[in-house]
Amino acid sequence: MSEEDSRSSEDETSEDEDINDYYNNNEDDFIDNSDVERGQDGEEIMTSDYYSSNEYIRKRMQELEYYDYQCLTGTEVEEKLAKDTETTAELLNISPPLAQLVLLANKWKITAINTRLKLSPVERGKLLVESGVIAVLPSHFKHRTEHKKLSLKSAVSCGVCFDVFPVSDVTSLSCKHMFCRQCWTQHIDFTVKEGMNAGIPCMENDCSVLCPIDFVEQFLKGDSARLYRDHLFRISVTTHYRCRFCPGVDCPVVLFAETPKPRRVTCKRCKMSCCFECGNEYHVPTDCETIKKWLVKCADDSETANYISANTKDCPACHICIEKNGGCNHIQCSKCKHNFCWMCLGDWKAHGNSYYECSKYKENPTMTNSSQQTQAREALKKYLFYFHRWENHSQSLRLESNARLKIQSQIEEKMNRSEGTWIDWQYLLRAGELLAKCRNTLHYTYPLAYYAGGGSEKALFEYQQAQLEVEIEGLAWKLEHAGEYQRGEVENQMDVCEKRTQTLLARFVAN
Amino acid sequence: MSSIATTRIQRELKDIKESNNQSIKIELKSDEFNNLRGEIVGPSGTPYQDGMYKLSIKIPETYPFNPPIVSFDTRIWHPNISSVTGAICLDILKDQWAAALTLRTVLLSLQALLSAAEPDDPQDAVVAKQYKDNQKAFVKTARFWAQYYANAPGPRDTDCVEKLRKASEMGFYKDISLQALSTHSWDLENAIQYLTSC
Repeated sequence: MSEEDSRSSEDETSEDEDINDYYNNNEDDFIDNSDVERGQDGEEIMTSDYYSSNEYIRKRMQELEYYDYQCLTGTEVEEKLAKDTETTAELLNISPPLAQLVLLANKWKITAINTRLKLSPVERGKLLVESGVIAVLPSHFKHRTEHKKLSLKSAVSCGVCFDVFPVSDVTSLSCKHMFCRQCWTQHIDFTVKEGMNAGIPCMENDCSVLCPIDFVEQFLKGDSARLYRDHLFRISVTTHYRCRFCPGVDCPVVLFAETPKPRRVTCKRCKMSCCFECGNEYHVPTDCETIKKWLVKCADDSETANYISANTKDCPACHICIEKNGGCNHIQCSKCKHNFCWMCLGDWKAHGNSYYECSKYKENPTMTNSSQQTQAREALKKYLFYFHRWENHSQSLRLESNARLKIQSQIEEKMNRSEGTWIDWQYLLRAGELLAKCRNTLHYTYPLAYYAGGGSEKALFEYQQAQLEVEIEGLAWKLEHAGEYQRGEVENQMDVCEKRTQTLLARFVAN
Repeated sequence: MSSIATTRIQRELKDIKESNNQSIKIELKSDEFNNLRGEIVGPSGTPYQDGMYKLSIKIPETYPFNPPIVSFDTRIWHPNISSVTGAICLDILKDQWAAALTLRTVLLSLQALLSAAEPDDPQDAVVAKQYKDNQKAFVKTARFWAQYYANAPGPRDTDCVEKLRKASEMGFYKDISLQALSTHSWDLENAIQYLTSC
């Protein structure tokens, strides 16, 4: 455990005690905290205002979700990158442009590069080969190196345009694959214009050597040169493990964190926030991989699945999927010609006569659950169950995001009616903020629940999730009917909500 | 068309003529240098042996810095080549292209692809599945296609001939019948059911 970790866990316990004090002092025991030791009674005298203040909420949120990051401008990032490049150049004893290639290939992890170098002396060579600084096998291009030994007056044929040039007009990378300057210019120009996602490679087949910046820039002029610099910066930031572009549209800010973790980062310029690790919307308690899987699944499946679920049923005989296209409930399967009732899925024979049993509710429908189609439908049901809850909460989040304005107008109204002062009603805004935060967490518990395995772990999680849901809806209700509830009631509810969220998050953050 | 592309194509055509390799051929389709026709002979030891495969080769404006666009004109049963459109899945024709590669190396690579298929990176999923699950049916089909479309010599498989005759007697086009039979590993009943349902 690192020093930082142990410190934060200490903070947590002391914070727990504070909370405990708070409840005991107020003689509110709606939360069962008998398992928490009581301590330091009355040592800190705080008014209840402190406990509902922004400061207090922030402090408690910090415990679990506090994350140290910076919002940097392009120039600041470039300075950092330049510094990294210098360090690596010294480390590997190569020129900075070559060091940049090594960093790009290694996500700018200088420490990792350093540890590798210490492993064995061969690692340096391997690292340089993998990064595209030098070629794999020097023997591979023997015949080309021979050209170099020839005198300056001799002629060399370019491997791309097949023309013959004097030695002074051809050039190569460290791999010694000679090509004429005109071909290099065109090759680099085309690659830059196409986006150069994987760097600019040598033109020889099966050669993995990449062009360093100083080599490239001798062939570029004007717009192309600027474009190249832009691409290089973009690739540097996207590959850098400590950097992420702000998700806001056209926002130039680069988010920078010393220790990359799946935590919320918010751009100070455009206020957009995202998960630092994966760039998606912040998604505690679900991990990055699961949320990615879930979002892909939702994008692929939800509409089709909804339609299938809403409009089709399986034929009880052959299990083919049937879409009803008319009003009549007597269905004949077009595949197996089975006659059945759309309502109860029973054989139609029972429906033709006077004894029409379809309108009666049967406790145990005698449908077989074993066939593959039924299983597929069950899987679909499970997915839709979670998807609908997920959708529902995202809708609530959208609606509640407008709530701030509504609360503000409510506060003004109340002040106009001389019901308390502005400061008296601020807790409503805080409650709104907290509600959004907690609901966001709840929202992201559903993908986690969908992918979770069975067992006690899941049972506990589902219990915590249910508890949180109850409290969040309680808070939402109290906030929507703010006039009918006392400040104390709302604040208590806020506290419970927060505590439940923290409980649920604790495990995720620990991982 | 850029001058560098034109001069290079001219040289490449000359080089191929001089190289005297009988198994590959490239010629101009018209006076333009951006539209070529290629031909490769199926490599021996494969179901494609001695088949003549015609290729269409389109040269982009940015050649040789971008790869040529190559596809099979002759129909072929191969996991990395679409049995319907002739589109090819080969790394050097996509992201692994290097300016120093030539049309000659491309055609030689295609011959190598015919000798060693890569079913895990398929272009035609149906063929790739048959290649992995039912190698015998795959070889039978690939050989029959080579004889049927690419004029590969040798006696044709009587089972294939018979089933193809039966299907076409029922009024289906020969090409479509052959595709259906091949897809269903020469199960006549399944192929007919498939043909009637579409």
